[in-house]
Amino acid sequence: MKTAPTLDEQLVEQPVHAAEVPWTIVVWNDPVNLMTYVSWVFRRHFGADARAAERLMMQVHTEGRATLAQGNREHMERHAEAMHEYGLWATVEKAPQ
Amino acid sequence: MKITVPTADAVAAGVVGIVHVEPQEARVLVSLADQLQALLAEAIESPIDDDAAVRRLLPDAYRHDPELADEWRRLSRRGLVDRKIGFARTLSTALAPVVSDGIARAVPLTMDTAIDWVRGIGDMRLVIADRMGIIVDGDTGTLGEPGLRDVYDWLAWMQDGIVQVLEVTEPGDGGAA
Repeated sequence: MKTAPTLDEQLVEQPVHAAEVPWTIVVWNDPVNLMTYVSWVFRRHFGADARAAERLMMQVHTEGRATLAQGNREHMERHAEAMHEYGLWATVEKAPQ
Repeated sequence: MKITVPTADAVAAGVVGIVHVEPQEARVLVSLADQLQALLAEAIESPIDDDAAVRRLLPDAYRHDPELADEWRRLSRRGLVDRKIGFARTLSTALAPVVSDGIARAVPLTMDTAIDWVRGIGDMRLVIADRMGIIVDGDTGTLGEPGLRDVYDWLAWMQDGIVQVLEVTEPGDGGAA
């Protein structure tokens, strides 16, 4: 989450703070977890609607991975921990620039 | 085993599903839940995960940055392991009476216990898959003792059944397609 810069800050060159570099949470395909289970986890944890959850689950299944969310690193690490609680294989990655 | 939706009275009391368990089924589940808890407890202290099943239960959160992966592991591992042990313990606690009495029983699941069950069952499947040699899609899993495949498939059926009762119950999730 970013707040709008104040006027003073706009006058100097702002280096991008590490916390502002966007990170992503990636869920990887595995041969064990059921497709219905993965869809349910996406709905339950990320609040995806049924159609989005199904699409993301299919993306994991066919492409091997899907990006579920983007934000600061700490936030993405919490998602990773939650996915591991559900037994899904998930990693944190820097968002492509 | 049978997984059913509860009566209106039970729903009012917070029950989302009922698992009808035979003693021999409870024995298998308690045994697997106990083994899982032991495996996880060992993993708390171990500096390296030499068991592929543990690496799959507790994967690195960073693929290409060992430093960040180590930091994350240091900060999150104990809590994650404790919670996973808790999921498995929910199963063994609920099923221990069925084993000790040797009588089939209907085990009621609340939302919270049902979620523990699907996670605990999922973790059991991850370990069994490793023991059977199921590493990538399409692996048939020919390793391991005979009968393991049946257990693996049975657990999948059970997890799917519980997810189905959770889908019925959960408000706002997946209702409108």
